Amino acid sequence: MSKETTLSRRNALKLLAGQMALLVAGCSRPREEIVPYVRMPERLVPGTPLQFATTLDLGGYGRGVLCTSLEGRPIKIEGNPLHPASLGATDAFAEATIFSLYDPDRSQAVRQSGEISNWAAFLDALQPRLESLAARQGGGLRILTGPTTSPTFMRQIKSLRQRFPLLEWHAHDPLDDPSAREGAAMTFGRPLRMLQRLADADVVVSLDADPLGAGPLQILHARGFAARRQARKGGDAVARLYAVESAPTLTGANADNRLTSPLAQITAVAVAIARKLGAVMPEAPLGKEEAAFANELAQDLSAHKGRAFVMAGPALPPDVHALCHWINAQLQAPIDYFEVDGEALPSSLTNLMRDCEAGKVDSLFILGCNPAYDAPPSGRLAEAIGKAKLRAHLGSHFDETAALCEWHIPQTHILECWSDLVAPDGAASLVQPLIAPLYESRSVHEVLAAIDGSVASGHDLVRETWTASAPANEFERWWRRALQDGVIVGAAVKPASNLSPALPQMTSRAAESLMLVLRPDPCVYDGSLANNAWLQELPKPLTKEVWGNSIGIAPADAGALGIVDGDVLRLTANGRSVEAPIRIASGHAPGVLSLALGHGRTAAGRIGTGVGTNAYLLRVDSSWTIGGIVATRTGERRPRPSTQLQFSLEGEAADLFPSYTLEQFRALDGTVPETNAPTFLPAQRETGARWGMVIDTSLCIGCNACVVACQAENNSPVIGPDEVAAGRDMHWLRIDAYEIGSFGNRRTGFQPVPCMHCETAPCEPVCPTGASVHDSEGLNVQVYNRCIGTRFCEANCPYKVRRFNFFGYADGQEYGDLGADVMRAHNNPDVTVRSRGVMEKCTYCIQRISRARRAADKEDRPIADGEVVTACQSACPTRAISFGDLSQGEASVSALRREPQHYNLLGHLNTKPRTTYLAQVRNINAQLIGKEE
Amino acid sequence: MAQIFKPGADTIARSILVAMALAPLAFIAGCYAIAMSPHMTDQGVTVTQPVPFSHQHHVGGLGIDCRYCHNGVESSTVAAVPPTETCMTCHSQIWTNAAILEPVRKSLAADAPIHWSQVNRLPDYVYFDHSIHVAKGVGCTTCHGEVEHMPLMRQSSPLTMEWCLDCHRDPAPNLRALNEVFATDWKPPKDQNERGKRLMEKYQIHVANLTDCSVCHR
Repeated sequence: MSKETTLSRRNALKLLAGQMALLVAGCSRPREEIVPYVRMPERLVPGTPLQFATTLDLGGYGRGVLCTSLEGRPIKIEGNPLHPASLGATDAFAEATIFSLYDPDRSQAVRQSGEISNWAAFLDALQPRLESLAARQGGGLRILTGPTTSPTFMRQIKSLRQRFPLLEWHAHDPLDDPSAREGAAMTFGRPLRMLQRLADADVVVSLDADPLGAGPLQILHARGFAARRQARKGGDAVARLYAVESAPTLTGANADNRLTSPLAQITAVAVAIARKLGAVMPEAPLGKEEAAFANELAQDLSAHKGRAFVMAGPALPPDVHALCHWINAQLQAPIDYFEVDGEALPSSLTNLMRDCEAGKVDSLFILGCNPAYDAPPSGRLAEAIGKAKLRAHLGSHFDETAALCEWHIPQTHILECWSDLVAPDGAASLVQPLIAPLYESRSVHEVLAAIDGSVASGHDLVRETWTASAPANEFERWWRRALQDGVIVGAAVKPASNLSPALPQMTSRAAESLMLVLRPDPCVYDGSLANNAWLQELPKPLTKEVWGNSIGIAPADAGALGIVDGDVLRLTANGRSVEAPIRIASGHAPGVLSLALGHGRTAAGRIGTGVGTNAYLLRVDSSWTIGGIVATRTGERRPRPSTQLQFSLEGEAADLFPSYTLEQFRALDGTVPETNAPTFLPAQRETGARWGMVIDTSLCIGCNACVVACQAENNSPVIGPDEVAAGRDMHWLRIDAYEIGSFGNRRTGFQPVPCMHCETAPCEPVCPTGASVHDSEGLNVQVYNRCIGTRFCEANCPYKVRRFNFFGYADGQEYGDLGADVMRAHNNPDVTVRSRGVMEKCTYCIQRISRARRAADKEDRPIADGEVVTACQSACPTRAISFGDLSQGEASVSALRREPQHYNLLGHLNTKPRTTYLAQVRNINAQLIGKEE
Repeated sequence: MAQIFKPGADTIARSILVAMALAPLAFIAGCYAIAMSPHMTDQGVTVTQPVPFSHQHHVGGLGIDCRYCHNGVESSTVAAVPPTETCMTCHSQIWTNAAILEPVRKSLAADAPIHWSQVNRLPDYVYFDHSIHVAKGVGCTTCHGEVEHMPLMRQSSPLTMEWCLDCHRDPAPNLRALNEVFATDWKPPKDQNERGKRLMEKYQIHVANLTDCSVCHR
């Protein structure tokens, strides 16, 4: 009490006055500092971004990219046109690599038994053990990695074997496809790898395979698919894609004819095709629809010999893969087969576990993989690993496996280290660092060098690998060329030839009553990307759900179980069970459930831990199907957040997402006249370019690369699952999924929707502060400083492309730990970071337009066609997005606007959008229409 | 009953009425004047630097070209403050022991950059590009003032949006021939208006889109 009364009224007023004076005096902006370099790095010009070629890893394979670096800070990934697995495009994972570099949860220090330690201490602990190992020829020395193709890694393993002849290398790939491997071994007697050339095929049959789905081959296959999907006025090149599948995939969604069948029936379809092609083998019982489908498939395939192939998915048994090899041989299919160096093949995780339990493992190095999470849950892993005397883990995060190991070493990010990788077609390329390691981390190569008892930098190790490949005395020039191009010329592998596959013996299998089909997650892949918030918040292509996974189930099965969307189902198999909410989705065969891998991490980091359900828990070996599933209702409800809340309206797709068959498309005459309905709105003054975008929905496969590219380019924030559940979403570009076809056998059509940049934009007249205005190049721009957040524009936008910052998502109220200091480094300095209470939307990458305009103006020339490439356009693997100046009549975007299938979204509203679409054209087999539409 | 108000009260009442109408306007005008005053814009405020680098000496006295140090000005968005190395190209030869240059030598020896205080500051939402202005004939001194007479740097222009727009609406008075862009003693010639118009045509400057929001803000 006395404390409060010591302050007299007079003093209180004095303090108040003093405070006000300070407030006024403190009202000036703080002075900022300019900190130049001491020595200017070569080629660097402050304020001007540089691009470096490097290679990113997915499933062990390399995808070449160009990384944009601004003053030493990597901020954006673009495709490398010279690299065969990129061809100038990216995928969602490549784009999100920037986020993982700055992930605040990355492991930052060496740990011993969980306590912070250092690299020198680790080397001290390693030394005596290595000496005793060397004395025993390396018996008991084991290295466990994920899948890898790195030539430097292979060389290091070879060199380690000189000191430790008994060293064993094990590799564990959670997304391994053992059926394909065994199928190849069954057919050719050796493990061959194959690469289908979609661009050379007229007819492609996918039997539960997913060439267009997420994976290291996605970009390559998508480009091949797009090459044969060009429905254009002056001659079309359209192939036909059939899909027979048990659960929905991106390939099925993009197929011309799709059939949903249980796996046993898909096997029977393969047998029926083989029999029609002359195979002597017993008939397999076929359903009515499957029989008709198989009949047409066989006819279409044999009519396109040399330009057709069949591919089998990982859920199908090895003998079906072998049968497909035989069918492809009869068809002289456009497929390249590559020899796999049998000597360089690693041993398996199963062998490692067996040896661990037998006490044969002395020192175990787990490098860059996480078996404690993604290995089949035998329950023995922790105990088995625990028997090794030295257990060291190299990983980007202190994850599930790190907790089982005595030593944990932070792994250098792929944008921080030197390495090399091989693309699926055998082309090798270098990985070069864009930035010095942010933390005290080591790369796989540096750890291997330490085991070898040498101290070498990643740079020297990679150079050593390639010294022999360069022409004599020209290594420096060769090395610089390889780094600059991002691909090593002449390193590609020659395909195998003279293959004569034999007809396999088919094993008969009993049909399962309820079967779970596993799929890699289209966003977090195998789970290693679970702590990447961009990918967690990326809507899944088919279901649009975010932050987690759900069990897909056919409507009939859901009805039988008496469950609706969001009800939690418990799946039990092999004595283990998981619970997850369900999502009713057509495209599942009766008795087939689907669940994505990669969720339910327990130690991913602050973003990814505890999101979704861990489907690995049900797995046995590396199987992609789990039979004999028992599904029980739990009575709990857990609706999943999703970004597409709208349900489908009768006839909606016909208006918003028109679709033609190839015959209908050929019958279209002339162009659709541009609507010039009268309007009350004043005409826009236009003095320069007229920017426009055309999106070909025939080409869009829904892969999401553009969505993440846009997020990375435009500093779009992550808002978290709760905000999404509240109906909010901050992606400037969304991909709407339309269900086409009849109930029970629907297909999904994809329509990317950025801002339409309407010429008579409905958002503009309703803005009370003039924050939404047109500029003289026809862009509908949003002036953040004028915006007061009335959200009238959002309400009046018929396309719903405006996004509102309900909170300071990027500015003080970030989700999770995304407000960490290190996260600020990923921002593109050319784009304003939006604050709370302002509206934002797609700008057509105005910063890129401006850069091109300034570059052209400096040289007194017009902006060339194709000089401005938006982030979404640059990422697109199928080149579905075209952008350019409509005032240049000969520009590619203007030509696309004259195509007969061109249309305006919601054209009757007379908004005169600048973003327009080409309707989907599908090469449907008319014989199957009555049966499947 | 006696009058409560004297006759003069009418005048007072009228004045109050007028003041009621004017006071808010005057208040707004006052605020505006303060906002535009050097107190808020920092115009003309000389900034203390870790090394008292004199443009008067280096530019006015020695005649060193702007681009010797600010070498990004023709190609990049920022003109760039030079690295320590650039200072030392000369100062490893002359004034090698001057006490005033101790921070520069220390910077090179310790590989620690010099922390200069920013003089001309634009808000982060303004995307200014030096190179395009230089390419279109806007000289250094047009915005940065007569640096050859500045012993220490100060912000010579208000750097308000109004000031930017004045020139974007009508650049003619400020345009120079390309060979005069880096001239530090350039004064507009008598026929500047005509020359400016001719230069606008030559540089293909179209004012119609120069005042679009999207030209400077993104």
